[in-house]
Amino acid sequence: MTLLTDKDDRFKNLFGKAALFVLLAVLGMGLVFFWTGMKKGAFTPKSPIYFVADTGQDLKEGIPVKFSGFKIGKLTSLALDEQGHVQVEIEIETKHLVLLRQDSVVSLKKEGVIGDGVLDISRGTEDKPVLVGGSKVVFERANGLEQAVMEVKGRVMPILDDVHQILSDPDGDVRQTLKNVRQLTAEINGLASEMRGTRQKIDQVLVSVDKNLNNEVGPLLHSLRQSAAQAETITTKLNQDLPGLLIKVDSSMENLRKTTETINKSVQQTVPQIPGMVGETRETMGKTREMMGSTIEVVNGLSTMWPLKGSVPPREVGPVRMDSHD
Amino acid sequence: MTNSIFKFLLFCFLFSLSACGSSTPPAREPQLLEKLHAAEKDARHALNGGELQRAQHSFNKALTLQQSLDDTAGAAVTMINLGTVAHQLREDEAALAWLDKILLEKTPLYPADSQLTAAFRKAVILTNLGRLAEADTSLQAAEKSCDKKCGQRFNIDTLRARIFLLKGNAEAALALAQAVNKAAEAGKEEQANALRVQASAEEKLQRYADALAHYQAALEMDKPLGLSSRIAEDLNGLARTAKLLGREQDAAAYARRASLVEQTKDKSVLSAHE
Repeated sequence: MTLLTDKDDRFKNLFGKAALFVLLAVLGMGLVFFWTGMKKGAFTPKSPIYFVADTGQDLKEGIPVKFSGFKIGKLTSLALDEQGHVQVEIEIETKHLVLLRQDSVVSLKKEGVIGDGVLDISRGTEDKPVLVGGSKVVFERANGLEQAVMEVKGRVMPILDDVHQILSDPDGDVRQTLKNVRQLTAEINGLASEMRGTRQKIDQVLVSVDKNLNNEVGPLLHSLRQSAAQAETITTKLNQDLPGLLIKVDSSMENLRKTTETINKSVQQTVPQIPGMVGETRETMGKTREMMGSTIEVVNGLSTMWPLKGSVPPREVGPVRMDSHD
Repeated sequence: MTNSIFKFLLFCFLFSLSACGSSTPPAREPQLLEKLHAAEKDARHALNGGELQRAQHSFNKALTLQQSLDDTAGAAVTMINLGTVAHQLREDEAALAWLDKILLEKTPLYPADSQLTAAFRKAVILTNLGRLAEADTSLQAAEKSCDKKCGQRFNIDTLRARIFLLKGNAEAALALAQAVNKAAEAGKEEQANALRVQASAEEKLQRYADALAHYQAALEMDKPLGLSSRIAEDLNGLARTAKLLGREQDAAAYARRASLVEQTKDKSVLSAHE
């Protein structure tokens, strides 16, 4: 039995057409999913790597694992073990495992100061074997802002405690210094009042000096002015006389120069004669000495002759005179 | 003609007379001895003329020559002379050093009379310096070497009298000085010194009239000797004793004369050197 009879030709093979449409749509969607999955790395082979963290703070599934700034994997699971530690599994693209060594370290860092967490995996030592899937690596937390703040707090708090103790100690240096400053201030106040009195006295002295200056320095200045005027007169006279004097001095110097030249010429003429003169002088001296010797001999001879013999005193010998009162 | 012959004969007579009276001229001495005698002569001449520095220089020259000729006796005399010149130059420590070179010589190098003279002169210098104990020791050494015929006996006795007086023993000083004063062979200078010591001792013993007379006698003897400093001493002594005798006018006159002598004695020495 036929329920409906399709009279329009356009409805012929309608089921086949609809089935083809649906099939194409499903195929298109499948292609899109495949393409997207391939782009997202869903079909890239990955190897699991494990590490243990003290706490699961800032760790959550899906945070990327980066190597040299490139994403090579992600955290896939977190589980608390029997000791209370957190067992963490990450998946790293297998093709990148050759870049990593077995002593690679996974660090939890922040992207920026307050950014999302990211796991950074280091290369490790070159001479170590290549990291293989299912291996266990070391985990550490990089210093974040909170930790830095905690460190600062840990260092500052003892200092603040010390400062508090120093400030609160009644016998401490600060309290004593403040006490001294207080006393000093009081003394300075006293000194200031004394200074005020001194200043009044100095004012009086200055008034007195001012009077004396008027009475004594005035005449002195007047005298100085007179002296300066006299000096000026002398200077003027010198200015008038000095050129003449200088001309005379020049003339004298010229004469002196000429005289020196004359003496120099004379000396130059005389110098060659000096050795001869010295020789002659030496000869004369020798002759004189010889003559004196002869004279002495003659005198000595005469002194032994009569009648001079008795008048020549004998040669003195023995100590010179000195008596008991010398 | 007769006159010419007479003159010729007179000339021959005088020539023969001088030839007979003269002896052969002495041979010239070796060079070093000649220099030594010249240096000694120059030193003594300079000392007599008051040129003490020149005398010192020439005596030093003579000493070097004597030592180079191994003339130890002559060197001892020259060292005494150098000591005397140093004393006159008021360099008493140097004078004592010269004399000690003779006195402290361990080997018997120098003659005994030189040692006696050195000891006596050392005692004089020490007495002048007021070092009486040392002077006494040195004088004792001189006394030991001096026998009765010793020429310096009277000098030693006068110095001993002086030391007694300076030590305050006026009686002993007086006795010793009187003995020297009476001995003519002591010489005028030492007699005058003894008279001065005698007068000073009498002054201390308050015999002022005797003291005045003896100061006067000392002055009379010192004047011909031309010794200014001793004349001044005598005049000062006269002034003191005259005053003690109450003769104020005389005392003032003596004091004034003493003052004039003291003021001019240094000038007179300087002018004598010119």
